[in-house]
Amino acid sequence: MPLPANSRRLWPGALVAFAIAGLIAALLALIWSARGLGTAGPHPPDIAHLLRMTALQAGLTTGLSLVAGIVLAWALNRLRFAGRRTLVALLSASLVTPGIVVAIGVLAVWGRAGWINAGLAPFGLSTGPVFGLGGILYAHLLLDATYAAAVLLPRLDTLPATRLRLGRSLGLAPLRRFALIDWPALRPALPGLAAVIFLLAFTSFPIVLILGGGPANQTLEVAIYAAVRRDFDLGAAVALALVQLAACALLVLPTALFAPAAIATSAGRTAFWPEPRPFAALAIVLLALALFAFGLPLAAVLSALPAIAGLFGQPAFWQATVTSLAVATPSAFVTLVFAYLVASARTAAGSRLLKGLIAAPASAYLAVPGVTLALGFFLLARDLSIPVSTAAPLVLVLANTLLALPFALSILTPGLAALDRRHARTIAGLRLSVARRLWAIEAPALAREIGLVLAMGFCFSLGDLSVIALFGTEDFQTLPWLMNRAMGAYRSNDAAALAALLLLLSVAAFLALPPLAERAARARA
Amino acid sequence: MFRPLVLAALLAFAVAPVAASAADKPTLTVYTYDAFAADWGPGPGLKQGFEKTCACTLDFVAADSSIGALRRVQLEGRTTRADIVLGLDTALAGTAEATGLFAPHGIDTTALKVPNGWSSPDFVPFDYGYFAFVYDKTKLADPPHSFKDLAGADGLTIVIEDPRSATPGLGLVLWIEAAYGDKAPSVWSGLAPHVVTVTPDWSSAYDLFLKGEADMVLSYTTSPAYHLVEEQNDRYAAAAFDEGHYLQVEIAGILQSSPHKDLAGKFLAYLVSPEAQALIPHTNWMYPVADGPVPDGFAGLVAPDPVLLLPDAEVAAHSGDWIAEALDALAGK
Repeated sequence: MPLPANSRRLWPGALVAFAIAGLIAALLALIWSARGLGTAGPHPPDIAHLLRMTALQAGLTTGLSLVAGIVLAWALNRLRFAGRRTLVALLSASLVTPGIVVAIGVLAVWGRAGWINAGLAPFGLSTGPVFGLGGILYAHLLLDATYAAAVLLPRLDTLPATRLRLGRSLGLAPLRRFALIDWPALRPALPGLAAVIFLLAFTSFPIVLILGGGPANQTLEVAIYAAVRRDFDLGAAVALALVQLAACALLVLPTALFAPAAIATSAGRTAFWPEPRPFAALAIVLLALALFAFGLPLAAVLSALPAIAGLFGQPAFWQATVTSLAVATPSAFVTLVFAYLVASARTAAGSRLLKGLIAAPASAYLAVPGVTLALGFFLLARDLSIPVSTAAPLVLVLANTLLALPFALSILTPGLAALDRRHARTIAGLRLSVARRLWAIEAPALAREIGLVLAMGFCFSLGDLSVIALFGTEDFQTLPWLMNRAMGAYRSNDAAALAALLLLLSVAAFLALPPLAERAARARA
Repeated sequence: MFRPLVLAALLAFAVAPVAASAADKPTLTVYTYDAFAADWGPGPGLKQGFEKTCACTLDFVAADSSIGALRRVQLEGRTTRADIVLGLDTALAGTAEATGLFAPHGIDTTALKVPNGWSSPDFVPFDYGYFAFVYDKTKLADPPHSFKDLAGADGLTIVIEDPRSATPGLGLVLWIEAAYGDKAPSVWSGLAPHVVTVTPDWSSAYDLFLKGEADMVLSYTTSPAYHLVEEQNDRYAAAAFDEGHYLQVEIAGILQSSPHKDLAGKFLAYLVSPEAQALIPHTNWMYPVADGPVPDGFAGLVAPDPVLLLPDAEVAAHSGDWIAEALDALAGK
């Protein structure tokens, strides 16, 4: 039952959404108007070929990620073990792991000289090369299937206990149970999830570049990168960015319009109904496989951490650490504010069309190539005569907040919508103000989600490479910037240690922030 | 509970970089690539040396690549703080000249030791090197000695850089073009099956090679010297190719928009002086353009014969086509 449109909740979020749409348009227009600065490249890229290859790769990534995500969520839902909570938090953390870090991890494990092949060598065996479409899909799965599992698992974990009791008393067999109880809870989340994963894969950059094996597997994003960075053909860059935006919009808009907010919330204890023994064993095996496939590359990255001690003597390291944390922390809060405003506006919106219009700009941002955005921001700062060093922290916070927003929304919206349904009458009866409502009802009930959104915002800024590539200077260095520079100067051990540190900080944010927010909410209650 | 966090966030934001206070001395700003300005690169030594006599502040601003530094100047237009762009190479000289952003340097470069006598009124050459495939002697006993050898070597793997984003990648395109001309596309087709991956920049390619992902990597003849001198490791060598090796000369130019052209000229003169050139070999791992000591590790390096170099104008006019040919061959089209 939808609430009567509440304009005080609708407008702030709608404004944020339209401001984002305006910002994207303005940034593209700025680049277009600056194309005179550049050159006209002699070779228009083969757009049809790029679109075909990109769509194939993104389609495969999406399908496989959903299947693997469902399997992983199913297995985790059916099992209880020590460390389960930590593992669930890690699932969300893998999404924000910088692509370059994942690529490093995948190679360390599956590369020609990686752990697996080192183990197989004594037996005269070896795996095939990791480069190519297979390598891209594997690295994408590592990020996206775990993200899918992180989104889907709460839906299974929060199934009403009454439903489970009923199913149990009917003696549903495992497959029937999945079809009748689990699937209806998962299905509503799938279109939105599929859209996000498709966008991520469609615009994937470092993974495709490093693991793709060459031009045969390249994406539009790479062509845009080349147009901007080498040919400096700004006209072509904007044209390609528009093609990418249009292709993605075709997918995003329908899902933003029609993907309904679902029932899942974290409120209430989770009910547990174990599977019969063979299926429990299957769940254990599947979980172990997933842990092995997804965990090993990350473990390989982390294994380089001890070398971080070698950086302690460098002032640049400490400066970059402080800067990174100083930028990531406000990002976390700005992400939360934006996500809350847009999510409540979406919840308060009366019609599906309006809901879609409010949510679409936030997702559209995912489809705009990072290199183009950074360039647009650069031109904006120039036109406003803001020195690069002043603009850098602001742009880094803003750009990464917007990148984190679609994920933050997918975390926050379902919970807000469910609260709305449950407490609509109370709120209307008490005439609660927007602020009271947030303070008294939403913040305590959604503490865990709020913690996750904070972690999301924190990590996107922490791992940023596309903004810093243009805005980084001697006076403004972040940890990823330092990592890139170390790689560029025969310091691959330093780079590996920095990659490990970045991963560790991301994981720590995801492990620490949700319980911290929950404790804060409980302490107040 | 949230309030202290918000406060902490605001505080953290406040300590983020504060602009350095302005001094009376003029500041000379040099845009360059990251490794040049890094703590371990030539930047700090050059700064120390030049500031002793110039009564100025020398400020290196690092972009992610030399082409990134040029693009940045183009983007910033007349508002740029840069006086000098340092680190472009011969393959980009034509493109850079065509922007009209650079002013003649007025420095006599005839005495500099640059192979093939490369010179330009706008750019001062400050070091050079040759592109080469580097390999690990303990793993590859019999390296190829030509592109033909490479194409025919069963199971040999190489990793190269993308010619659209990395100067060595572009260098390979020019190398094959200079050696084979019209037959370049067929050479590329011969290479394609051996290419494990094409990376966006030199460092990821080199890193993959060091991790053992390929038998050879497109790098410089001087790369083995780094391992020899810094790591006392003599495992790495560059394969000498019968076709010769393509020359990369790194260059620096003064911007037309600079208010400190005289000072900028003095810095370029210092850059090619024996004192500054002595820093280059063991910080930038390239050959100096002035006589002077080089690390012992440079003695046994490959001496290219012949040295290949295409005219700047030809490169500027055709590199787009050549890159497209190379990419098509790599994509199997």
